[in-house]
Amino acid sequence: MSLQIIINGVATGAVYALIATGFALIFNVLKFSNFSHGATMMTAAFAAYFVAASKGMGLAATLAAAVIAGALIGIFGEFVGFRRITLNHSSPTYFFVSSITLGTLYEGLITIKVGSNFYNYPGFFTHSSVKLGSLVVSSSDIMMLVISITALAVLAYVIQKTRLGRALRAVSFDRDTAQLMGIDSTRIIQLTFIMSGILAGAAGVFLGIKYTLYPSLGSLVVKGFIASVIGGLGSLTGAVIGAVLLGIVETILLSLLGSGYNTIATFAIMLIFLLVRPQGIAGSNIQEKA
Amino acid sequence: MALVSNILTQVCISLIAVAGVYVLTGLTGMFSLGQAAFMAIGSYASGLLVVKAGLPLVPACILAVAVAVAVGYLIGYPVVRLRRDYISLVTLGFGEAIAALLNRMTSLTGGASGLTGIPRKTTLLIAFISSAAAVCLTAFFKTSKYGRQCVALKGDELAARAMGIHVTRIKMTAFLLSVGLTAYSGCLYAFYMSYVDPTGFGWKKSADWVIMVFFGGVNSLTGSVLGAFILSALPQALRSLQNYRYVIYAVLVLLIINFKPSGLLGEWELTPRNIKRTAGRLRGRKKETGGKS
Amino acid sequence: MALLEVKNISKSFGGVLAIQGFSLEADAGQIHGIIGPNGAGKTTIFNVISGVYPADEGTVILDGKDITRMEQYKITRQGMGRTFQNIRLFKGLTVEENVMCAFDPQSRYMIFGGILPTPARRREEKRGRELCGQYLEAVGMKDYRYENPENLSYGMQRRIEIARALMCGPKVLLLDEPAAGLNPTEVGELTDLIRRISGEYGFGILLIEHRLELIMSISDVIHVQNFGKTIAVGTPGQVQRDPQVIEAYLGKEE
Repeated sequence: MSLQIIINGVATGAVYALIATGFALIFNVLKFSNFSHGATMMTAAFAAYFVAASKGMGLAATLAAAVIAGALIGIFGEFVGFRRITLNHSSPTYFFVSSITLGTLYEGLITIKVGSNFYNYPGFFTHSSVKLGSLVVSSSDIMMLVISITALAVLAYVIQKTRLGRALRAVSFDRDTAQLMGIDSTRIIQLTFIMSGILAGAAGVFLGIKYTLYPSLGSLVVKGFIASVIGGLGSLTGAVIGAVLLGIVETILLSLLGSGYNTIATFAIMLIFLLVRPQGIAGSNIQEKA
Repeated sequence: MALVSNILTQVCISLIAVAGVYVLTGLTGMFSLGQAAFMAIGSYASGLLVVKAGLPLVPACILAVAVAVAVGYLIGYPVVRLRRDYISLVTLGFGEAIAALLNRMTSLTGGASGLTGIPRKTTLLIAFISSAAAVCLTAFFKTSKYGRQCVALKGDELAARAMGIHVTRIKMTAFLLSVGLTAYSGCLYAFYMSYVDPTGFGWKKSADWVIMVFFGGVNSLTGSVLGAFILSALPQALRSLQNYRYVIYAVLVLLIINFKPSGLLGEWELTPRNIKRTAGRLRGRKKETGGKS
Repeated sequence: MALLEVKNISKSFGGVLAIQGFSLEADAGQIHGIIGPNGAGKTTIFNVISGVYPADEGTVILDGKDITRMEQYKITRQGMGRTFQNIRLFKGLTVEENVMCAFDPQSRYMIFGGILPTPARRREEKRGRELCGQYLEAVGMKDYRYENPENLSYGMQRRIEIARALMCGPKVLLLDEPAAGLNPTEVGELTDLIRRISGEYGFGILLIEHRLELIMSISDVIHVQNFGKTIAVGTPGQVQRDPQVIEAYLGKEE
């Protein structure tokens, strides 16, 4: 196994980590799996394409557009899909249906706009790869790695050190009590969706650069889900660790088995993982409330 | 006439899958986003058994359903004992893996260009009888001890265990029954289209079925059947709206979730007692208005 | 040997010792009351005995069988019925179906009968419904069998929970605050009901309750818990005179 593969794996893992943390954030606060996350990524990536990239603006503008779009979609989704059922304390099944419905909605809207065509971001880099000694690393991989690490560091800081983070953890622990303690939990939930949307926007652009832009791009969110499951559902640290591990394992499998079979192999690994250590690496297996 | 019969056949085929989703989602409260992958297994397995192995139709279908159920057991084993989110996440991953596998095993499945040359055997009559049988089986299941235990554990797993209910076994039973029904619907699909390819078995299809169940009323089999009927006939009838289909669905369901969470029919079931009761109420209302005028 | 033997069970959550060395021996036909202030670990005792979570230490023996590390549903099938402090009836099922759920694990027909109306299924369903009628009759709820429990009063829901627990075919019945939220008349009816089923079916009953008048009038033995520890055991009379109990309930005299 060469260093080259590990570096590629970590870069892939960094993108997966963005997906997985965006998903885990909402799981953490509202305790449900947000299946619209993939479509949010895709929609934000397309929005950025039309608003910025196709007009010849650079990477920074495209990323900014995607992040803003992601945040807006997050707000919209929270209001349309989850506000009422959160306030009504509806059963988790409604959150589930709401999230897949939102996913279907976003994907349907983009399909109306672009059909089933494939779009490509313009080449953002003048040099497509950088040589470090004997290693060749693509510029986009370096950029993804740097931006992902920065985004995750900022997220960690926000959650651990700020008032917002404390409120968020309080709401995650017990929404009703937090509300009684004077925390506006609706506002916090909204902010969680915004943060998750921002992460989704960035991840969407990265996926668009790595592959191409197409309406079912969002199904790559599965990678984030698998990372979350391996890391331990609801744990942000676990999601990051799981994502990096998945990225490395996948890159290795890809070089051994070729594309297609590696998807099956990673899935099998996840199943075995669930059998052996269902609580995930971080061990925060949230049981349904007794 | 051919168009109508075509639409009805397809509606009947998806009705069988929706009956399966009702067992899983409506009764047990579990969500499978890889359900369509089991349909794919049913389609491909039965098609391959007939085309490549030269098996007669009926044993091919039975074997195909058995294969799907066996795969379902492998997928279900690790997840039924965990929090319910896992079954959605794992089946979603499973769906992607199956799609990749079908695309990849070109020599067997024809890869992305699909499996062709499957004999066209499914008629409207077969599809109709099958779907009626599927709905009946599901109705019997609902009123059996299994159905009751499914509903019980859907609401409260801890209390269910305290009543002696073997929660993981019941979850597994419901999951496998739904897999079997969906796989059978896949068999019919293959022998109707005479051609299957890996697209169209993605998570969107599974999501579609869940949406149909919720549209009609998640707690009512009658509602789910009605939902499936309306939502799968509508886009066939209005082909020009094909592109808008998912958007229309999504908006409808969002409206239902926000304003009438129990779906069109709520918990109402088409049973003799309920018909009598509803008829009585209607008659009563007529009398009232009659008295006033 | 006693019907239910609980020997020295302990359970802690994080650093909090919820139960420390609780022991109890209950015979058939006996009613044991467990009292104590909130947070004394009473419900935790029930949860450990009925297998919701395993004990850290100690053993639980039911009718000669060690059930300490058994799975929850298996413990129920060994003969343990229980109700919950915060009523946990199954939503979406009628009163009768709720009670039937406790019969279903004992019902003898297989998956074939689950999807087709086989003779075995019809026979077992009939047997179940008859038993169901019997137990609903016993708690005085037979007329409401087709209702949705959510539409019924608190007291009625508590009775349905008792009928459901009876349907498990218990040797030992655990009642967790059955009188919480009931008005005085309902408490009176409940007291009679518990006395009657205890006499009629002759199983051991463990009862957690805050209403002292109820628990003092029907218990044979009372266990007083405070901060996870048992501070007194004895007949209602003995317990009422125990200085530690008085201190725990009324505070120390200066």
